[in-house]
Amino acid sequence: MGDITLTINDAPVTGQDGMTILEVARENGVDIPTMCYLKELSPIGACRLCVVEVEGSRNLVGSCHTPITEGMVIQTHSPRVVTARRMVVELMMANHPDNCLVCDAANQCELRQVAADLDVGLPSFKLKKHYYPIEDISPYLVRDLGKCILCQRCIRACDEIAKQKVFNLAYRGFDCKVIVDLDQPVDKEVCRDCDVCVSVCPTVALRKPKKQGEEKKGPPLILSQ
Amino acid sequence: MGKIRTADELDSLRQSIIEKLDPNKTCVRICMTGCRAYGAEEIRDAFDEEIKRKGLEDKVEIRETGCHGFCARAPVVVIDPQDIFYQQITADDVVDIVDKTLIEGDIVDRLVYVDPVTGGKIPFAHDVPFYKEQTKNVLRNCGIIDPTNISHYIARDGYAALSKVLTNMTPEQVIEAVERSGLRGRGGAGFPTGRKWRLARAAAGDTKYLVCNGDEGDPGAFMDRAVLEGDPHSVLEGMLIAAYAIGTKVGYVYVRAEYPIAVEHIKIAISQAEEVGLLGKNILGSKLSFEIRIKEGAGAFVCGEETALLMSIEGKRGMPRPRPPFPSESGLWGKPTNNNNVETYANITSIILNGADWYSRIGTETSKGTKIFALAGKTNNTGLVEVPIGIPVRKAIFDIGGGIPDGRKFKAVQMGGPSGGCVPEAHLDLPIDYGSLEAIGSIMGSGGMIVMDETTCAVDIARYFLSFTQSESCGKCTPCRFGSKVMLDTLTRITQGQGVEGDLELLESLAQQIKDTSLCQLGSTCPNPVLSTIKYFRDEYEAHIKEKRCPAAVCDALCSYYILPDKCQGCMICLRACPSEAIEGGKRMVHIINQGKCIKCGTCLSVCPARFSAVAKVSGEHVPTLEEPIPVSTVTKGG
Repeated sequence: MGDITLTINDAPVTGQDGMTILEVARENGVDIPTMCYLKELSPIGACRLCVVEVEGSRNLVGSCHTPITEGMVIQTHSPRVVTARRMVVELMMANHPDNCLVCDAANQCELRQVAADLDVGLPSFKLKKHYYPIEDISPYLVRDLGKCILCQRCIRACDEIAKQKVFNLAYRGFDCKVIVDLDQPVDKEVCRDCDVCVSVCPTVALRKPKKQGEEKKGPPLILSQ
Repeated sequence: MGKIRTADELDSLRQSIIEKLDPNKTCVRICMTGCRAYGAEEIRDAFDEEIKRKGLEDKVEIRETGCHGFCARAPVVVIDPQDIFYQQITADDVVDIVDKTLIEGDIVDRLVYVDPVTGGKIPFAHDVPFYKEQTKNVLRNCGIIDPTNISHYIARDGYAALSKVLTNMTPEQVIEAVERSGLRGRGGAGFPTGRKWRLARAAAGDTKYLVCNGDEGDPGAFMDRAVLEGDPHSVLEGMLIAAYAIGTKVGYVYVRAEYPIAVEHIKIAISQAEEVGLLGKNILGSKLSFEIRIKEGAGAFVCGEETALLMSIEGKRGMPRPRPPFPSESGLWGKPTNNNNVETYANITSIILNGADWYSRIGTETSKGTKIFALAGKTNNTGLVEVPIGIPVRKAIFDIGGGIPDGRKFKAVQMGGPSGGCVPEAHLDLPIDYGSLEAIGSIMGSGGMIVMDETTCAVDIARYFLSFTQSESCGKCTPCRFGSKVMLDTLTRITQGQGVEGDLELLESLAQQIKDTSLCQLGSTCPNPVLSTIKYFRDEYEAHIKEKRCPAAVCDALCSYYILPDKCQGCMICLRACPSEAIEGGKRMVHIINQGKCIKCGTCLSVCPARFSAVAKVSGEHVPTLEEPIPVSTVTKGG
C-alpha cells in the first residue's frame, strides 16, 4: 500500500494503491457526478456518467472502477468529458417519463439533480419510453419500471447487503430490464421487506406502498452517494 | 489405439499410421459440415450404396471432411489421388462419378468447375483460381482429414508440435517463439499473442485458466466454425502448448450452441485425445497435466467480448465488466485467465513446427501470418479463404472471390462485421492488415468480409448492422443501450423517407460519444458501420434526407415500381400475382401499376419473366408511363 502520485485537472495529488480515480478525486474535492456508483456497493461502470479523460487512453474511462496508476494524468471536466456526460444524461432523460411535476421523487430524484447540474434541458432527440405496468401487489414494495434507469443499484444492494438476490437483469439491448424471478411481478413471497433496495433507488422506480391517512415521515432514507 | 506415453511412442504411432496409408488409394472427400445444408449426407449415402453395389469397398475410401471453403459451389467433392474437383453435385450424379471416375479414371465433364472468365473447364482443385490464390496454413487439414479421426490428424504431423514443446523447449522458449512470430489475436483486436501469454504466465497464483473463444457471432462469418468442425485437434494442440507455456491445468472451449457440428466434433476430439493420453495427467510423460471442458454459449453476440464470455462460463448473465483488472490478472473466478480466439490457437502448431522466423516471413511488417476470411455477400465465390495478411483487398474479392455477380459494379466491402467499417472502391488496393484498415475507419476484425455491390444501399446496410448490435447489446451501459437505439431509430427514419436536416450531425455526434463512453468493445465499435458509410457515402445519406431518394433503389419507402410500356407483353402474370390488385390491364394490354394501391411488396418485379424484365424499381427517377392500358401491339418495342 504505497503512495501513488497522479495529476487531476493539472494539480498533483496522491492516493493509495488500490484506490479508484473517483475516490482520489473526491478526497481532493473534485466532484465527479455518478449514478450507478454507491460506495457501499461494488462498482460496475454501467451508467458511464463518471467518465473522465485519462492521457494515453483512446476512450474515456469510468472513474468509479478504474484504479489509479503512477503518473496518471486525468481531466475530470474537460469539454470532451462534459459533452459525453451530457449525452449520457440526455439519453436517460429521453427514455424517462416526463412527469417530474407529479413524481414522488421530485427534488430527491438523483437523475433530475444530475440533469440540472449538467444543464441538460429537454432532450434534443426522440427516444421511445418504456411503459411498464406498475407492480403493486406486494405489501412491501412498489415497482414502477418506467422510471428505472438500470443503474443496477437494487440488484447489487439486494445481493451484497441484504444477501437475497431478488433482482436480476433480463432481455437485451433497449428491452433490457430488472426482473424478479422469471419476470414475475414482485410479491410478498420473494421480497422480505428489508427496504434496502428502496433506499438506494436513485429515482422512484422502487418505493414503499403509500398508506393513505397515515402520518407523513421524513424524506426517504438515502444511504449515501 | 492405446495410451501414448512418450514422444517416441507418438512418433512410432505416426509412422505406423502413415505406413498403413496408401497414397494411391482412391479417396472421395465429401464436405460433411457446411455442405450438409445442400444435401451432402444424401450424396454420401449414394456413394456408400453405389460403391457397395459395384464391390469397390476395398478400393475406395469415402471420407467425411470439414469445409473445403468453396461454399458458393456446395456441395463439393474432391477425389484423390488425382485431386479431381466436382461441384454442385447431387445424389443423382453419384452413379456417374463412380462409373466414370472411380472405375474408369475419367472425368465427368458436366460436374467440373467452369472458369467464369475464360469459360474453360478446370477439373483439378489445385488449378481452380479460388484455391490456387490461397495460402492454407491454419486450414491445411480442413477438407483433407476426417475431423472425427485422431489418426488422420496424427498422420499429418498432429501433436508433433506438442511433443517438440514438451521435449525440447522451456515454457519461456515457447512464449519467446510466439512473440517472435508476431502472431496477433485473430478475434479482432489484434493484441500480440506472445505478450498476452507472458502476462498470464507472470500473473501471481497457482490456479490459472485457459479459455478458447469460439463464440463467433458476426453475421456472415464462419472462420472459427470451420476450424472447430474441420480440424478440432489443431485447436486442442494449440491450447495444450499454451497451457504448457502459461502453466495452467484447466482450459475451457467456449463454443456457440448454434454450431452443433462444431460442438460434436470438439467433443469427439477431446474424448479421443483423452483416450490416448494427449489430454489428462502427465501428457507424453511430461509434467504437463491439462484437461479441457466445453461451455456451450447460449447465443449472445456480446459473449464474444472476453469479460462477458468469462461471466457466461461462470454461469452468470453474459455482461462485460470493467477492465482493468484484465483477465490475465483476474479472470475466470478471479483467477488469472488467458483467452485466445480459436484461430489464434490453431496458428500455434505451425509456429512451433516451422519456427517463428518462417511464420514472421508471411505477412506485413506489423501483421504476420495468414488470416482466414469468410467471403460473403455480393461476390461470385462466397466461402472461406485463407490468405497471407497484407494482400490487397482487390485480390481477395476479385481474384479469389471471382468478382461481383452479373457484371454489377463493386461498391464496398464491410470488414469486421457489425464492429467494423466498409472499404470503398477507392481503397481496393489497400493491404489487408490491422493498421491500414484501422486508418481508413474499418477494422481487420475476426475475418468477416461482406461484399456489397451497387444494389446495396449504404444507409440500409448501416441500419442493418446497427439493428444487429442494438438487439445484441447486453443493456448494461447507457450509451450502448440507449445511444445505439437513438441512432438506429434515426437511420430507420432516414430509410423510410422521414429524415430531416440535422440527422447526419446527430448521428455523427452520438457516434462519437458512444465510442468514447461505452463500457465494452461492442458499444464502442457499434457506431463504426454508420461512421464509415457516412464518410464514404455521404451523398447517399443526403439523397435520402434531402431528395427522399434511395440511389441504390433499396429502401422501399423511397422507391416505386413501374411497368415499362415498351417491354410489357401483357402476359397478366404480375396482374394476377399482385396481392393488392394494384395492376391494371388485360390480355395483350400494357399493364399499369396504380401507385395509390401499390404496397411496394415487389411481387410484380419477382414474377415478371426474365425475358421481359418489364418491371422497374426506381427511386427519384421519372419513368414514362401510360394513362390507361393500351394494346401491346400499339407500343413501339425497344431493346
